Amino acid sequence: MTPVLEAVGLGKRFGRRWALSGVELSVPAGRVVGLVGPNGAGKSTLMQLACGLVAPTEGRIRVHGSEPGTRPEQLARVGYVAQDTPVYPDLTVAEHLRLGARLNPRWDAALADRRLERAELDPRQKAGRLSGGQRAQLALTVAAAKRPDLLILDEPAAALDPLARHAFLDHLMESVTELGATAVLSSHALPDVARVCDHLVVLARGRVQLCGDVEPLIAQHVRVTGRPADFDALPSEAVVLARTEQGDGRATALVRTVRPLPADGPWSVAAPDLEELVLAHLACAERPGGKGRSSARPEARR
Amino acid sequence: MIWLTWRQFRTQALIGLAALLVLAGYLLLLGLDVHQAHRDTLAHCAARPDCSGALAAFADRYRLRADLLGYLLLVLPAVLGVFCGAPLLAREFEAGTHRLVWNQSVTRRRWLAVKLAVVGGSCTLATLLAALLLGWATGPVAAVQGARFEPVAFASHGPAPAVYAAFAAVLGATLGLHLRRAVPAMAATLAVFTVVQLAVPALVRPHYRAPERTSVQLTEPIVANLTKIGTYGDIGGLRVPGGPWVIDTSPILDRGGAPVGRTDWFQDCMDHSSPADLPRCLAGHGVHVDVTQQPADRYWTFQAVESALFALLTAVTAALAFRRLRTRAD
Repeated sequence: MTPVLEAVGLGKRFGRRWALSGVELSVPAGRVVGLVGPNGAGKSTLMQLACGLVAPTEGRIRVHGSEPGTRPEQLARVGYVAQDTPVYPDLTVAEHLRLGARLNPRWDAALADRRLERAELDPRQKAGRLSGGQRAQLALTVAAAKRPDLLILDEPAAALDPLARHAFLDHLMESVTELGATAVLSSHALPDVARVCDHLVVLARGRVQLCGDVEPLIAQHVRVTGRPADFDALPSEAVVLARTEQGDGRATALVRTVRPLPADGPWSVAAPDLEELVLAHLACAERPGGKGRSSARPEARR
Repeated sequence: MIWLTWRQFRTQALIGLAALLVLAGYLLLLGLDVHQAHRDTLAHCAARPDCSGALAAFADRYRLRADLLGYLLLVLPAVLGVFCGAPLLAREFEAGTHRLVWNQSVTRRRWLAVKLAVVGGSCTLATLLAALLLGWATGPVAAVQGARFEPVAFASHGPAPAVYAAFAAVLGATLGLHLRRAVPAMAATLAVFTVVQLAVPALVRPHYRAPERTSVQLTEPIVANLTKIGTYGDIGGLRVPGGPWVIDTSPILDRGGAPVGRTDWFQDCMDHSSPADLPRCLAGHGVHVDVTQQPADRYWTFQAVESALFALLTAVTAALAFRRLRTRAD
C-alpha cells in the first residue's frame, strides 16, 4: 500500500538558508501524525511542501503517490489550514461554505453545516469579525468539508484558549474519524500531541530527528536512574540521549535501545512518556556534535 | 471560481458600473445635442458657398467638452489598472487567503486565468463602451477639427482605449502578484503604465508605417489655428486640412526653402501686426513648412496596429504572471 505522504532526500532552501534538508519520511494511511519541533525547525515548510504551496529545492515529495498541488483531483484529496487560518474578511461564514461547495467536487454540505452548528458560528456573520478561535473553526470546516483523504493543519489550536483548545481537538479527532482520513498536525504543545497523535515526526534544524508510530517509539526508549558510574555498564547499542544529574548523587537518563536492557543492571528503569521522549531528542539535536547539523551547508553539496 | 471572483470584485464592479452609467447617460444627451447642432449648421449654410466659418463656430462650441471627455478616457485605463488590477491578487497575499483558495480543488493556473479574464474583461468592456459612445457623441466635432489622429484624440477613440484597459488591468494584477502588497502594486502600475503611454505615441507609433515628408502652404486659416509662432519662425500646433497626424514640422520657410525667421519682413510682421492681422501678414509672403506626417487615411490602420501591439503586451504580461505562479508560488 502506498504511503499517504512520502519524502525522499527532500530539501528546501530560502535564499541562502536551508529550511529543510535531507528529509526522509513515509507516513502510512489512517494515522494522526504529530509534527513537533522548535520554532524555525521547518514544520510549516514541510507542510507547505506537502500541499504544493512551495516546490522543493531538491529531492521529491509525493502525496498519494503524485506530486502535490498540481492537478484538481490531487488538490481535492488534500485539505490544508495555514498557520494564520486565513479567511476572506469581506465574505460571510455562509459565503465561505458556498465557496467551498463551488470549488470542490467532493464537498459535503451536511458535514459543513453540522460543524458550523457545533462551533456556534452565525452563517450571516462576516468572517472579518470572527474571533481567532472562530476563524480557526471556519477554516477547519472548509478544509474538512471538502472530504480530503489527507488533512494538513499547521498549528490549528494556536489561537485558542486552553478550554477551547480541548474542545477543538476533540472536534478535530471526530472529523478525522468521520472522514476516515490521515491527519498531519503541527504543534508546540506537546500535551496536545500526546493526546491525539498516534504517529510522531520530530523536526529540528531542518532535519527529521525521529519518526514512527508512537507506541513502538516509546517501547524503544527507557528512562534509566542510577549512579553516574553505572551508566558505563549500559550495553553498547544503547544511546544516551539526555542526562540530568539529581541532587542525591544519582542521575536520570533517557536511553534509546533496540533491545530491552538487562533487568539485573545496577539501575532502575521506567517507560518514558511522549513529552519526555520528544524533549530528549530535541535537546540531543541542539547539542554540538548532535544529530542536528548546521543549516548552512558546504557549496559542494549543491 | 467565477462566482468567487465576481463576489470579491463585486463592490468595485458596482461602483464602476454606476459611474459608467452616469457617463453613458451624459454622453447620450451630449451626442444627441451635438448631432442636432451639426445638422442645423449644415442646413443653415447649405445655400452658401462656404460653410467653414459656421462649422468652426459649431466645433468651438463643443471643443472644451470634447477635449475634457477625451482626457477622461485617456486616464480611464490607468484608473482601472490601479484600482481593479493591482489589488486583484495583492490583496490575497496581504490577507494570506491565497493559501485558502489555492487549497481548494482548483489549480493555481485556473485561479489566475479566471481572475484575469473576469476582471480584465470587465475593464475592457467598460472602456470599449465609453470610447465608442464618446466617438459617436463627439464625432462631428472631431470631423470638423480634423484632429482625430493627434495623440490624445487617438488614445481616447476607437478600439485602442479598450485594449489599453486590458493591458492596464493585467499589468496591475501581474505587479500585484510580484510585489504581493496592494499599495506598492498600485503605485508601480501607475508608474509603468504612464511610461508606456508616454513612450508609445512619442517613440513607437510614428513608425507603424514610414512617415511621409511633404510641405504645407501656410494659408491664412492655417496660421490662425497655430498654437505657437516663435520669434524666429518655429511653429507649434499645426493642423492640416484633411486631418493627417503631423509628427514634426520645420520652421517657416520661404518659396526658395530658406528659413524666414531672421528676415526683416518676418520680424516686421511679428512686431507690428495685431494678432488678427498676423496671419494675413505672414500668408501674404507665400511661406510654407516642411512636415513629417502620417496621412489621415492611415487612421484605422494605426488603430489596428496600436490595438494589436497592446494586445501583445497584455499577453506577454499575463505570461509573466503565469510564469511567476509556476516558479515561485508562495
